[in-house]
Amino acid sequence: MNFHYVVKELYYQRRRTIISVAGLSIGIALFIILNALSLAYREAARAPLKEIGADITVQRAGNVPEELTGAVFPCSAITISREEVSKIEKIPGITGIGQAVLVWVFDLNRAWIVLGIERDNPIGPAILRNFVTEGRFLENGKQEALVEIGYARQFGIKLGDIVSVAGRLFPIVGLVDASRAPKIAVANLYLPLKDAQAIAVSSKPLQSVSPFAPGDVNLLFIKADQQQIISAAAAMKSILGEKAVIATPESFLKLLGSLFALSDKFTLAASLIAMLIAILIAFKTMAGNVSERAKEIGVMKAVGWTQQNVTMQFLMESVLQCFAAGLLGILIAIIVAFGLSFMTVNIPIPWEMSPTPHFLPGGGVQLYKTLRLPVHIPATLAFFALLLSVFVGGFTGALLGRHISKIKPSEVSRHE
Amino acid sequence: MNNADILMGTNLSKRFDNLEVVKDVSLTVKEGEFVSLVGKSGCGKTTLLSLLSGLEKPTKGKVILNNKDITGASEDELALFRRDHVGFIFQSFNLIPTLSAWENVALPLFPIKMTGEQRSRRAHDLLNQMEMGHRIEHLPGALSGGEKQRVAIARALINNPKIVFADEPTGNLDSVTGEAIMAILNELHKKKGMTMLMVTHAEELAASADRVIRMKDGEVIA
Repeated sequence: MNFHYVVKELYYQRRRTIISVAGLSIGIALFIILNALSLAYREAARAPLKEIGADITVQRAGNVPEELTGAVFPCSAITISREEVSKIEKIPGITGIGQAVLVWVFDLNRAWIVLGIERDNPIGPAILRNFVTEGRFLENGKQEALVEIGYARQFGIKLGDIVSVAGRLFPIVGLVDASRAPKIAVANLYLPLKDAQAIAVSSKPLQSVSPFAPGDVNLLFIKADQQQIISAAAAMKSILGEKAVIATPESFLKLLGSLFALSDKFTLAASLIAMLIAILIAFKTMAGNVSERAKEIGVMKAVGWTQQNVTMQFLMESVLQCFAAGLLGILIAIIVAFGLSFMTVNIPIPWEMSPTPHFLPGGGVQLYKTLRLPVHIPATLAFFALLLSVFVGGFTGALLGRHISKIKPSEVSRHE
Repeated sequence: MNNADILMGTNLSKRFDNLEVVKDVSLTVKEGEFVSLVGKSGCGKTTLLSLLSGLEKPTKGKVILNNKDITGASEDELALFRRDHVGFIFQSFNLIPTLSAWENVALPLFPIKMTGEQRSRRAHDLLNQMEMGHRIEHLPGALSGGEKQRVAIARALINNPKIVFADEPTGNLDSVTGEAIMAILNELHKKKGMTMLMVTHAEELAASADRVIRMKDGEVIA
């Protein structure tokens, strides 16, 4: 094998080289882009959960409240007992749990959506501390509340006001901008978890539909090992029963409905087809090259090149072309990915995760999490594509090289 | 085979399907001898040259070249043997179009482990001997027929061969250029003692050889 000869051959046969490199590079670029899009949709599907610091949210559907007075649970989020939470904690792959209590409180002159949160747990709604626009976040051990800024404006609630919720008094210590906050687990009044639990425990209408003991909750936010999310979700279902509503990145992916989101198999099949077409183009160009060069091979063999020498020469030409095609394909993919990253995607939030009663203003509106499609090309994908193109080059080069190396040296005199 | 014989073909036959192109031919070439193989087009002289040089395997018979029986050698063994002991000059030059003149000359050396500089120096020396020093970096497409054949001769000599096989070396050249090429071959034979077996259909060119072998219908007639 002579590298100088390889380079000169590719340089002087520019048209052939360009067709071969361009064909394969388009295939490589398609392969990368399809996989990058699939990854982007997966990452987008993680966003609603990720922004609340969780990988999974858990709630359980139950009966509709018999009457809308006092504190009641939404029918989409009834009691999850302390014992059930303990069992969930022990599921393999679970790395952390955040708990919350969501209650609707229908007082005489006002309806509240109340969310009781764990003040110091980074998993779950305590992430709201980042969205306090006035005042401060909840302090440890104090009976106090945060109110959503839009709700505060609507009802003229100000910092320092004391509001009455289910017969308990809470001073307002901060205003929260929920429009910037996560789309799930939003409310208009945020209390320490134990206060929300106390409201639930003391509510007869709530207890009559869904018995609730001190320490119970009705929303869980779970961090889990990425590889074990699906198995952990299945295990939770077996603990909480068929009515458990378990939101995972997979379930959000299904809501997206995109072909890329729907099926890994689609992505795999489409990218493999793209690669196959590219390989066929490259193979056809190189095969044409081989037949054009039969006499040249005859000369090489006549002057003393062995079959291995000839095979290595073609192998190197092919590998070099395919390596160049791989690099070009990555470059094309980076440019296309940059363009695609300006696309936005709307992720629908399931109604059962929307805390607003459907009969209140805004309650029936479909919520979306809107974000720019996070298309990027991971280094591992780019490296794999490059490796794949070099493998294609090696395979086609070896195949054609072996074939052509069998040309007899006497071919050279047969063409005289 | 005595020491002076460098090439000996014995009872050589070659059949392609039902056509026997070479029929029971025996011939010997001595070291330092210039032999012409003459005959009309299609008489089997190029096929005989291919058999004697190891480019083609005979259907029957035996070839001993430089004291080695090459008849049963594998393709790769023959390739290595040709690389070390044989030079070829073809009618249509057979230069690689993407390689420069000196790279074409160095083509037989590409698979050999040596530095690029060594290859280049040997090729440059030979091209200078062929009065092609001014065309060293040119591609074959930029060379005239005579220049291409000079490059081809230099390529045939790059491995210091024991014998050079020339197949109609002036066949694609005009008469003046052909004479110049024959002058180079004669000089190689006379001054350097190069053994040569040349196939030609031109009697006047064949006459410059030490010995003329005539072929007709696949057989040696004289």
